[in-house]
Amino acid sequence: MSLLLGPMVQHIPGRKDLTDHSDAKTLMPKKTVYIPVFAGPVTQAEILVNEGDHVKVGTKLANTKSAFPVPIYSSVSGIYKGTVKRPHNSLKPQLHMVIDLDEIQESQQAFPPLDWHSASHEEMVEFTKNTGIIGQGGAGFPTYVKYQNVEKIDTLVINAVECEPYITADYKCIMDSVETFIHGVRILQKMAEVQTVKIGVKVSHPDLIDYIKQEITRENAAGIEVVGVPDVYPMGAERTLIRTLTKREYDRLPGECGVIVNNAETAILIARAFEKGEALSKKYVTFSGEGLKYPVNVTVPVGMVVSEIIEQLGGYIEKVETLKLIAGGPMMGKAMVSDQISIDRAMNAITVLKNENYEEMTCMRCGRCTAHCPMGLQPVRISNAVKANDAVEMEKRGAMLCIECGLCTYVCPSHIQVTENVRKAKRTLQMKAKRK
Amino acid sequence: MKFAFHVSPNLQSPNSTQKIMRELTIGLLVVFAASDIYYFVQYGAGVGLQALLLLACSLITTFVCEAIFAKVKKKDIKSFLSHSFGWVTSIILVMMCPITITPYAVIIATVFAIVFGRLVFGGFGYNIYNPAAVGRAVIFASFSGATTRIISGATPTAQLSSLFNWLPGTEAALDAYLNTVGGWGGLAMGFYPGAIGETMSVLILLVGAYLIWRNVIDWRVPVFYLGTIFVMGMVIAALTGIEAWHGIPAILWYPLLQVLTGGVIFGAVFMLTDPVTMPTVPSGRIFYAICAAAITVLIRVKGNLPEGCMYSILIMNTFTPMIELALDAPQLKQMKKAWTMIACAAVFALCVAFYGSTNKPQRAVPEELKSAYVMETAADHTVSALDKEAL
Repeated sequence: MSLLLGPMVQHIPGRKDLTDHSDAKTLMPKKTVYIPVFAGPVTQAEILVNEGDHVKVGTKLANTKSAFPVPIYSSVSGIYKGTVKRPHNSLKPQLHMVIDLDEIQESQQAFPPLDWHSASHEEMVEFTKNTGIIGQGGAGFPTYVKYQNVEKIDTLVINAVECEPYITADYKCIMDSVETFIHGVRILQKMAEVQTVKIGVKVSHPDLIDYIKQEITRENAAGIEVVGVPDVYPMGAERTLIRTLTKREYDRLPGECGVIVNNAETAILIARAFEKGEALSKKYVTFSGEGLKYPVNVTVPVGMVVSEIIEQLGGYIEKVETLKLIAGGPMMGKAMVSDQISIDRAMNAITVLKNENYEEMTCMRCGRCTAHCPMGLQPVRISNAVKANDAVEMEKRGAMLCIECGLCTYVCPSHIQVTENVRKAKRTLQMKAKRK
Repeated sequence: MKFAFHVSPNLQSPNSTQKIMRELTIGLLVVFAASDIYYFVQYGAGVGLQALLLLACSLITTFVCEAIFAKVKKKDIKSFLSHSFGWVTSIILVMMCPITITPYAVIIATVFAIVFGRLVFGGFGYNIYNPAAVGRAVIFASFSGATTRIISGATPTAQLSSLFNWLPGTEAALDAYLNTVGGWGGLAMGFYPGAIGETMSVLILLVGAYLIWRNVIDWRVPVFYLGTIFVMGMVIAALTGIEAWHGIPAILWYPLLQVLTGGVIFGAVFMLTDPVTMPTVPSGRIFYAICAAAITVLIRVKGNLPEGCMYSILIMNTFTPMIELALDAPQLKQMKKAWTMIACAAVFALCVAFYGSTNKPQRAVPEELKSAYVMETAADHTVSALDKEAL
């Protein structure tokens, strides 16, 4: 807590105990997967297989034609049946590739592995680009982009914080494959050309901290350090994590202050790609929340439909008509109106909550949103500008910097949807920018 | 199974405005109760009941005003009353009044506080001025004579202002003043007649600490407000060259006297921290508190009014929208500006302190207090504060 700034974070009861004690369940779809062809709002894709083709786990299915092209690999083996528009966690229907599973589930190397000890920086970046790995933290930003220009980078931060309540997928994933994780971190360390690597883990997971420390010692990995960070939200937000671990601030992107941040699961995917030539096929996903009978972590192939997973897990709680189904955690995840969505590559949780909302009251200007905003914005002032429909003030008050972490809404004692007000400001400013 | 759409985040803290207001109300009532017990014990049941009567008058007036407003606006009366938190205004207003005030003055002040301080702006959350301070200002302006004679004599704050001009310059003069409030202990504990809720400094500070711990009020405001008054007191003491008191140098006892006398501690904890009327940004709140402190001291040492706390709050309320406009950018990008503003406020406070130190200290014991002072010096020094009050 500084003099002029509030705490900029807040402890939120994590409810991680619902899922972190039990082992992850491996589930397979009975018949079909629907693999989303999605990479950003406008996705054009070039489909590389023909209807009726037999594909294996690791077959390249498509290339997206977005600003940063990302190849998509098959997560199952079976017959490709064409494309279909289905509900997607981006809230708009998106193109999905339909694959009917076969019984044997053959796999193939998606691409030849690369010996990262001897590879050059350019080779590594080009290789990563071809793997189609996107950040597993939720935003789904292609990983290779961050490593294209590393001259000014001196620190790599591995984000294993998982500050969203309910989610334990990263925790489970690292606990199950800590060796691969450390390999991945070392590959990223080499690709970023840095000495210092800091792995951020919440102090509320001391077992994970010890486990990673042991593995670092065993591997004799130089420069890699595990740092316990406070159990507060949004500790896993890039800016907050960088502020906590390196005491640095930046304007738009972490690269400006010499830092690259990658998610822990991304590191694991990187290691699998470099060492085994595997593309992303199976994901750890947390299915949790009070709306589920048996909350648990699962490993499922990308493209498996959420309703099928929940059915296999024992279903929703009974005696309620309406629930909230959230793709992601309760803070940043979006509420879905259908459980027909499929697991996408950057999805790490499905949270099902009871449909209970607080009554909204008049703002009493207590300033909690301003004191807690991790970006140092003043959400109450931005909301005022939205009410006055004053776009100039919205811009001046920095609405576009908002990361939509949701903390302002969480801390608001009047239960106002503050974050949504700031989103409105962002939409207004985006519309204005488009019109120009 | 149906799935409801809701904008994210889908998780909200169970904390609520109602809970915050409940804790604030309890904090206020603790101070009120302690004060009322003092009046019961010291002056008898009649005076003690008078405080309760005043509170009841004010609360009923508030509920009546708000019920009529709700009826006119065609809103549900019960939910309007419970979401308007008018009782907080009522309690604060009564606690700022001296116990000698007549009930009709309190009723009219409450009407002004609730209707013109609050409802005409749109009710809770929209008012510009602290409504309780508005009500108190009405009493100051129009009902200063509307007092009953249940306790006679001027309050110690008024005496410090009128007889000493806020500057008792010698040991004897300070002793004469302290004698009227029961020594430093009596002054700190509040065992002297004054505004009903403002005298018990130590208790109010304890309640304030609790409210800060519970996150009901922002620590910055009381800390910077009282801190600034204290520092200004030190400057004034140093520049006017007033005497040490039994070996304690003036730059220590004088600021303490400034802080403990009058309503600044009450104002710092319960009124200046009213979130509705102060800036929302922490840096703005510091600026706001320092300026309010400077105005308080200015009115105290140079104004005609005995006490400046309430008017300083009203004046700074006026500047709240301006402070917010000045500090509107993302906080991390305006740190320099915020520091500059705070530095300016500090310079303003320092200037006020310099100006205040042009006053001449009251070195002699005022005639009005002479007899009491002689009695005090003759009496045994172990006589307790309460006994002295009984004399």
